[in-house]
Amino acid sequence: MNEQQFFDLAVKVIAGQASDAERRELEALLAGRPELKTEFERLRDDTRIVREVLPLVSATQASAGNLPAYARGRLQTKVRQTLGGQKASTGSAGERERKMMWRWRWALGLASATAVVAFLILSIFSRPSAPAIQVAMLDTAGATRGLDANEAALLRQTWEKATVDSFSSVEDLRAWEAKLRAQRKNQGVKVVFDRAAGEVRVSGRWKGRSFEKVFLIEQDLATTLRQADAFIKEKTNR
Amino acid sequence: MIGAKLEGDDENENEVEREGGYCDEHGAPRGAFQRMNAPNLQALQRGDPEAWDEAFRWLWPVAFAAAQFRLQAFLPQDVEDVAIEALEALVEKVREMRSVEELKPLAASIAHHKAVSRLRAAFSDKRGRRQTESLDEHRDEAGDRAEDLAAHSPLDSLAQKELAELLQKALSALNPPLGDILSDFYLHGLRYEEIAKKRGVALNSVGVYLKRGLEAIRRIWVRNRE
Repeated sequence: MNEQQFFDLAVKVIAGQASDAERRELEALLAGRPELKTEFERLRDDTRIVREVLPLVSATQASAGNLPAYARGRLQTKVRQTLGGQKASTGSAGERERKMMWRWRWALGLASATAVVAFLILSIFSRPSAPAIQVAMLDTAGATRGLDANEAALLRQTWEKATVDSFSSVEDLRAWEAKLRAQRKNQGVKVVFDRAAGEVRVSGRWKGRSFEKVFLIEQDLATTLRQADAFIKEKTNR
Repeated sequence: MIGAKLEGDDENENEVEREGGYCDEHGAPRGAFQRMNAPNLQALQRGDPEAWDEAFRWLWPVAFAAAQFRLQAFLPQDVEDVAIEALEALVEKVREMRSVEELKPLAASIAHHKAVSRLRAAFSDKRGRRQTESLDEHRDEAGDRAEDLAAHSPLDSLAQKELAELLQKALSALNPPLGDILSDFYLHGLRYEEIAKKRGVALNSVGVYLKRGLEAIRRIWVRNRE
């Protein structure tokens, strides 16, 4: 029996494809030649590894299947939180520093000119500006199916300029809120749609005054969002 | 792409047939098609939302398939969640990557590890609460083996990045029809005769391909652990 023949017999036995006669043949071989027993054990170990690796190799080549719509919002939120739309830095440190200095000079010059223009425009066309509205959707019950995309669309419809962030844990929502507080400089509105609790929570601060209110979803989400929006407009004099 | 040329003095090896060019369902050489649709890594590292939309669609089948392999038997309802979690974890690692070819193997690796963790947690939880009835339904040989695999799989000793590198090397080493024949035998349980008929190769060459494939995997495994 040559090496290939032993291999063929051994893998069939390991795979459970061997006949009784083949199994007995292998047993006799292993009994007579200890070095073959070592080889057999190695083939058994190899088989175990191959059975683990092959499905993952196959998975790596998979191309069928569509990303669920509800997952997109959650994944894009992760991208924003982790990468924040930052540009990759290029060039040497010295070059970056020079560019930074020029940028500062331009920025200072531009800021001065802008301040003058802004003052003039404001004094002529003074009109109350709108607060920044940040919207979050919290679904602690786990990844939602289907409805999530509709609800996100409703939130975007109600507050067209807002970004809707999706969270599946209270901890992530708290982190988002903390980040907003740091960025907001005491102005702005936060809207949280808590799916599990069935409520829309509004809180904000505008021209030195804080406000907050919880809206229970009694009829449907669209109606509740209209109520929340009306509340925000009332509090921000729009 | 020309199939594996097998050389050697062994008479069986001389009977191996040389395969013609191998293309995927789109008519492009395998590998080239995947590169054509690969997202721009720099755009991903910048956090470009459109690039990530494209990347998530491209990577979803990989993460899903890897999670499904582990979870389908016991936790099929968790497959999608684990696949999503794997893609979220991949976002955190994108800045460490040097080439877009690393994305898919890493996605598969992360999904695999998360699936194993989910499985172990589920088994541990059920044992802890003495709720073994539903597990007993699966307690045939396949069920026992699946639990053992979850607890003692050789891949579990590899970190995510190590497993991803192993998968990348395996992808390169298992050119068609090597990888296909290995899958036929080890994953689908086909016999030599069935494989020879399916793949259009000589019966004597099936074993040769299997031997070469096992040796390739073994080399990658050993080098990876050095």
